Amino acid sequence: MELSHRTITQIGHYRDMDLTGTAPDTLLKLYFQMLRLRRTEEALHQEYHPADEMRCPIHFCIGQEAIPAALSLHVRPDDFIFSHHRSHGYYFAKGSPLRELFAEIYGKATGASGGKAGSQDISHSDTNFYSGAILAGAVSIAVGAAFGFKHKRTKQVSISGFGEGCTDEGAFWEAMNYAGKQKLPVLFVCENNRYATFSDQLKRQADDNVSARVRPFGVRATQIFGNDTVLAHRTIGAEIERLRNGDGPALIEAYTYRWNSHVGPEDDSANAYRQPGEMEFWKANCPIVLLGEKLRAAGLLTDALSARYEAEVAAEVAANFKFAKESPFPTDTHWRQMNYADASPLADRLLGVATRGAGFDQYQDEAKLGPY
Amino acid sequence: MSRQLSYAKAILEATDQAMGLSPDVIVLGQLVDTQSGIFGTTTGLVKKYGPERVQDFPVSENLMTATAMGAALTGLRPVLCHQRLDFMVYSLDAIVNWLGLWRFKSNMKSAMPVTIRTIVGKGWGQGPQHSKNLQAWFAHIPGIQVAVPATAYDAKGLMLEAILGETPTIFVEGRGLYSMTDEVPEQPYRVRFGQAVVRREGKDATVVAIGLMVPLALRAAALLDKEGISIEVVDPRTLSPLDRKTICDSAFKTRRLVVADGTWHSFGAAGEIVTSVVENLGDKLKSKPVRVTLPDSHTPMSSALEPKYYPDENDIVAAVRQTLK
Ligand SMILES: Cc1ncc(C[n+]2csc(CCOP(=O)(O)OP(=O)(O)O)c2C)c(N)n1
Ligand SMILES: [Mg+2]
Repeated sequence: MELSHRTITQIGHYRDMDLTGTAPDTLLKLYFQMLRLRRTEEALHQEYHPADEMRCPIHFCIGQEAIPAALSLHVRPDDFIFSHHRSHGYYFAKGSPLRELFAEIYGKATGASGGKAGSQDISHSDTNFYSGAILAGAVSIAVGAAFGFKHKRTKQVSISGFGEGCTDEGAFWEAMNYAGKQKLPVLFVCENNRYATFSDQLKRQADDNVSARVRPFGVRATQIFGNDTVLAHRTIGAEIERLRNGDGPALIEAYTYRWNSHVGPEDDSANAYRQPGEMEFWKANCPIVLLGEKLRAAGLLTDALSARYEAEVAAEVAANFKFAKESPFPTDTHWRQMNYADASPLADRLLGVATRGAGFDQYQDEAKLGPY
Repeated sequence: MSRQLSYAKAILEATDQAMGLSPDVIVLGQLVDTQSGIFGTTTGLVKKYGPERVQDFPVSENLMTATAMGAALTGLRPVLCHQRLDFMVYSLDAIVNWLGLWRFKSNMKSAMPVTIRTIVGKGWGQGPQHSKNLQAWFAHIPGIQVAVPATAYDAKGLMLEAILGETPTIFVEGRGLYSMTDEVPEQPYRVRFGQAVVRREGKDATVVAIGLMVPLALRAAALLDKEGISIEVVDPRTLSPLDRKTICDSAFKTRRLVVADGTWHSFGAAGEIVTSVVENLGDKLKSKPVRVTLPDSHTPMSSALEPKYYPDENDIVAAVRQTLK
């Protein structure tokens, strides 16, 4: 049966989670990863006001931990992830250092992007993580990275994370067409949380899925109940394996739900865009609760272990805040260097060294003209 | 005998040599793998380097630019061809929201060395959707270089510099320049960005000419020379970075300034150049600077109107006379 946000709440309590075939330590890792992300996001959400030290828009991903946790166990260091504005889950999934995420949000020099980008534009190139706040733009770039992997015959995979709102954009469909035609090793991960800001997918599109419409483009697509972390882990694992073997591209459409406002901790419920009963359904089917229940029933998760996880995560979050708060603000105002490369090592090597054009040193206020 | 090469062949040679020098150089664009090869600028490359390095692309300009950008992150050095600048406008998001700020946004840790070739049509009724030159838009964006070569020599040197350099580059090619020949060394060489050149020395007035206006300015100089008026022609070669010093030095020497730019009058490169000179030595000029540009109008198709729309050497001559009044 096709999944749809229109009917999904009829599931009531989700009972289809199947642990068979997933190793116990993997299950526990999935649980731990979700807990880390949840507590991290909760703490940032909590701390945002009234301290007002995180001075950038943040799109929290509370309620949407399953996909990042599942991804985090499959991506390799040399795979790339390109995220949309709701970036923390994907940053986390790539294994990029969380303290640099905190520092970035605080606008500090030690941030992943030196404090220049913030939550919705953060990148961490050492771990091959990139994001950006323009819908669909990063999907296209992810296709380009996949092009590069295929061209160089590596087994790397390019992962593109976005919401269903991104599929309103024409650029998204150009990407589907080309990735499908060229069979590129790119995994499109669509977290369908029904809304783009305050707008229901059905207000913007004729149907509330993405999968059925990408298939004719040659993109293999799977719909999953996006809060079933074990299913997400299995599906992502199988798809990434196929991509590494040249059998791409693929899209996974994970039906899930955002618990917080679209952006920031401020309440946006005055816009009354959610359906009655919806939030209750999704909170009852919280991905952490669903997996936790199963793990407890299987005797894998005990109160003691749970307490240990909580303590570990709390310590990590506290250390991340400390790092961010104690880090210095950036002071660099070399605007030209920030925007233009001074060096040209490849050209120097292949074409010989040549004096730089004088215009480089006349950058705006650095101008060395006159006196006349 | 020195070797003469056309502008189009110089672009082809630069691309060919860059591909020979680095296996990471690839060419993407609609029909780059055909015999006609984008007015001869990619002809034969597919035969020499194979279809993986010279690839046709769907008519998806935005994705094409973004694909090149993503590919650059994996170590490739893509060269893109847009047959008309007008088509490339579909890729403004990729250029303005991503490419230009990639280095900045990654705190200087990540680079996208992409070369975007774009051709500006002119004449034979190209009309309003096949002839636009939006070079100033791109020069306005931090993090992107803009080349406006006027000679085959510069086309080759700037192209090699762009492909093997680290800064994303938009390469604005005037279709009207393609058949013009120049002395071009066979060996690969560099023309660095931000280095203007004095094409002709003179003492009575400076004409800064951009792209297609360079040959016209040189013709104007020859005409004026017959009357004993000596003009200096400066070709900036790149708009970003812009070599303001060479321009200002020349204007300081002649004390008179004309800027000839074959794009729209308002908010363009000509305005930027006049401003740069006025800011630095406005009080030293003997007359008001004059701009020779297109009118602020879209391009007419009719062969009766085209000559009225595009400025020629006589317009430059008239502008110089105005500064001498
Ligand atoms: C090109 C563009 N248009 C509009 C916006 C404003 N905007 C920011 S987030 C958003 C909704 C995104 O919804 P979705 O893609 O479903 O992701 P979600 O926020 O639900 O995770 C919009 C419209 C934008 N960032 N980029
Ligand atoms: Mg959404």
